[in-house]
Amino acid sequence: MPKRQKMNKKRILLLFALAGLLAALAFVVHLDSVVRERFEGKRWQLPARVYARPLELYPGLSLSPSQMLAELSMLGYRETPEPEKPGTFRVRKQTIELVSRPFVFGDGAQPSVSLEVRFTDGQVKELVDRSRKSTLGLVRLEPILIGGIYPGNNEDRLLVQLDDVPQPLIDALIAVEDRRFYSHHGVDPKGLARAVFATASGNVQGGSTLTQQLAKNFFLTPERTIRRKLTEMLMALLIEFHYTKEEILEAYINEVYLGQDGNRAIHGFGLASRYFFDKPLTYLGLADTALLTGMLKGPSFYNPRSQPQRARERRSLVLELMAREGFISEEQLAAGRRAPLGVVERPPRGTSAYPAFLDLVHRQLQRDYRDEDLRSEGLQVFTTLDPQVQLAAERALARQLAQLENKYTQAPDSLQAAVLVTNTQNAEVQAVVGGRNPRNKGFNRALDARRPIGSLIKPVVYLTALQQSRRYTLATMVDDSPLVYAQNGTADWEPENYDHQFHGKVMLRDALIHSYNVSTARLGLDVGVSHVLANLRRLGVERAVPAFASSLLGANEFSPLEVTQVYQTLAGGGFRTPLRAIREVMTAEGSTLQRYPLNIEQVVDPAPLFLLTRTLQDVVREGTARRLEHYLPADLDIAGKTGTSDGFRDSWFAGFTGDRLGVVWIGRDDNQASGLTGASGAMTVWGRMMADLDLAPLLLPQGEKIEQVWIDQASGLRSAADCTGAIQLPFISGSAPQQAVSCAQKSEKRSLKNWFKRIFGG
Amino acid sequence: MKKIERCLAYAMILLLAGCASLEPVATEPPPPSRNAAVVSLLDAARSQSAAGKPDMAGASLERALRIEPQNPELWQELARVRLQQGQYREAENLAAKANILSGADMNLRAQNWQIIGQARTRLGDHQGAQAAFEKAERD
Repeated sequence: MPKRQKMNKKRILLLFALAGLLAALAFVVHLDSVVRERFEGKRWQLPARVYARPLELYPGLSLSPSQMLAELSMLGYRETPEPEKPGTFRVRKQTIELVSRPFVFGDGAQPSVSLEVRFTDGQVKELVDRSRKSTLGLVRLEPILIGGIYPGNNEDRLLVQLDDVPQPLIDALIAVEDRRFYSHHGVDPKGLARAVFATASGNVQGGSTLTQQLAKNFFLTPERTIRRKLTEMLMALLIEFHYTKEEILEAYINEVYLGQDGNRAIHGFGLASRYFFDKPLTYLGLADTALLTGMLKGPSFYNPRSQPQRARERRSLVLELMAREGFISEEQLAAGRRAPLGVVERPPRGTSAYPAFLDLVHRQLQRDYRDEDLRSEGLQVFTTLDPQVQLAAERALARQLAQLENKYTQAPDSLQAAVLVTNTQNAEVQAVVGGRNPRNKGFNRALDARRPIGSLIKPVVYLTALQQSRRYTLATMVDDSPLVYAQNGTADWEPENYDHQFHGKVMLRDALIHSYNVSTARLGLDVGVSHVLANLRRLGVERAVPAFASSLLGANEFSPLEVTQVYQTLAGGGFRTPLRAIREVMTAEGSTLQRYPLNIEQVVDPAPLFLLTRTLQDVVREGTARRLEHYLPADLDIAGKTGTSDGFRDSWFAGFTGDRLGVVWIGRDDNQASGLTGASGAMTVWGRMMADLDLAPLLLPQGEKIEQVWIDQASGLRSAADCTGAIQLPFISGSAPQQAVSCAQKSEKRSLKNWFKRIFGG
Repeated sequence: MKKIERCLAYAMILLLAGCASLEPVATEPPPPSRNAAVVSLLDAARSQSAAGKPDMAGASLERALRIEPQNPELWQELARVRLQQGQYREAENLAAKANILSGADMNLRAQNWQIIGQARTRLGDHQGAQAAFEKAERD
């Protein structure tokens, strides 16, 4: 061939080669951008982590060993013969020994403590630091992780940060899926070679590294062609080029497919942990971790619910591989193989056991944070939820609703309910139940169901009257005879009492104690509906409320949350504090972003409030709530109010002790009559729930403006200590009636003074 | 003679002791709480305030209040923290709460009124401040 032609051929070949190279390069660049876009796009959206209140232990705390064990169980602590590692405990007689996990709070780090908690009589008696052999005054356990706040309420992922992933999971992944993960660059030649040989000899194997598997997940359609395989390999190399092993691991853990829940795919170990074990991933033990890892190879084939035997065998295999790689000891292997499957029977619906409370948290956060920040920054949210109180509320509700439906021959599942419990002194919300199925994230009745509150408005009416101390005292006679109130443009209003009777002249306190409608209406009209509603606003209702005459008997609709805010101010001695579900928010790194400090505002004069609260105690002692004594001792001096709306559609009870306020609503979603009164319905739930909790009695400081005066019950006039029909009532000083009634001496009771007089004469 | 001297000596001692007991002895104020956890949290709060960290002091006091919600000293200290933070309306309210819980403890009441007076001064309510300081004097 002439030299020129040779040159041309060479050049053409070169050009082709160049073109080919350019094409390949272009492909690689394209792939690179795809990889990066997919990777960055998924990362991320680190959801906010939400915690319950931390349990603070100190000598004298009311806490039984079983309550403490419940807390440790929710924290994922494991029982061991000798607690050494953080997250382990052991139980002895009246003593629990544990090693706490370290935790960084906003106000300081709590290091891990090897602790002995000694109990006596349902109380913590002593705390001992086992390593230092010294007693401790106060120990704060780490708070329970109760849920998260996810991208656009999309709960297809329960994203976890690598820091929260238990080491055994990482070890298991390495041992089972990719032994040389940390040393290869995306593709593992040894693994690939073995896979080729094995496949050729009939044993089809994958040979994919974790990185390759991750790449596979980035594609929307599964394809098992050579071309796809090669593309995946290239992507794996590119991924390894851009990202660290840690980032790859984290992405993998959050991406992989682990099961199917109807038409919801379970992606990621975080969600799988919740779905199979009803626990956050960070609390999973070795055996559970091995089980999940084993499922990677075939989530439906190894589904522990449908194929328990297969799942067990696969789990054992995973544990053996881990032992072989030296990640676990022989003992751990043996223990893991012995362990029960531990899978919960019915998969929980959502991603948290406390959807109603989380809902409240989310709403309060949205006032200060944009949703994008909430779901992308990995914020740590510390809340006020008390899981023990929540459990008491849910249990009481479940038992009572079943009983009520039985007793009042309602169809099963026809009643619905809502419960809120708060701390009366600092307005922290301890429990929220949004419906009879608390695990369902459905309509949150506690926050959103607006129902007529009926007699729950009456304390506000009476407070308004008592604030006019010159005109109204607890002894003022009010008129419970028939009332016809003419209103412009509508029919006359003719309120009736529940017992369909009229009671004539009664003392103001009795009208409230027995919840008479007619006298309350008359009283309320006299002091003015607008004044009553103004007080309601002061007590904490923020919405504008339409004013009707029937507002005085609770025709207006409010949510249980709104009712709780109103009674919170009453229980707080006239100091209003906005209900709080959050204590503070920290960044993912641990620095404080925001605190929600305790602040109070005195909105009503304590003196008339004292009179009202005393009377609410009498409602429980002798009035419409007296059957509460079936559940709780009288010396708690509970203050409360029953509420029944028109037509028996809504059953309410609001009551408080020295430290806790509870509000319960029962009704039907279709707004039909439930036939329940406040006392026969909501109050029974309240009583049962509170009986499960430790309670402080309600002690009311009397204050200097109050004096106690003996009053004749029949006439409301002044009487004396040893007269029949006299009771002692509190009054704002100087407001007690001056006129006295002639006193019929009590023939039974002789005072000591009288005895002396008789003996010594004079 | 020695016996008489001894008797006289004893008598003198007794007399002196008797006189001494008539003098008012400065008593220590009672501890703010019988709960060791509360005491240590209150101490921590005071140190944090002194170190110029009122936010942390507030957090410590809130922890203590969860243990003893009716303890007036805790509410009072929280009122002081709010003063330090420049939140005068809040300080006034917290001191009012402390007062309600202080019962007959005159020292505590006086201190509460002092705080209320200071808060009102800062808020520009000089009449109210005056009234509060007078109440502090009386108590």
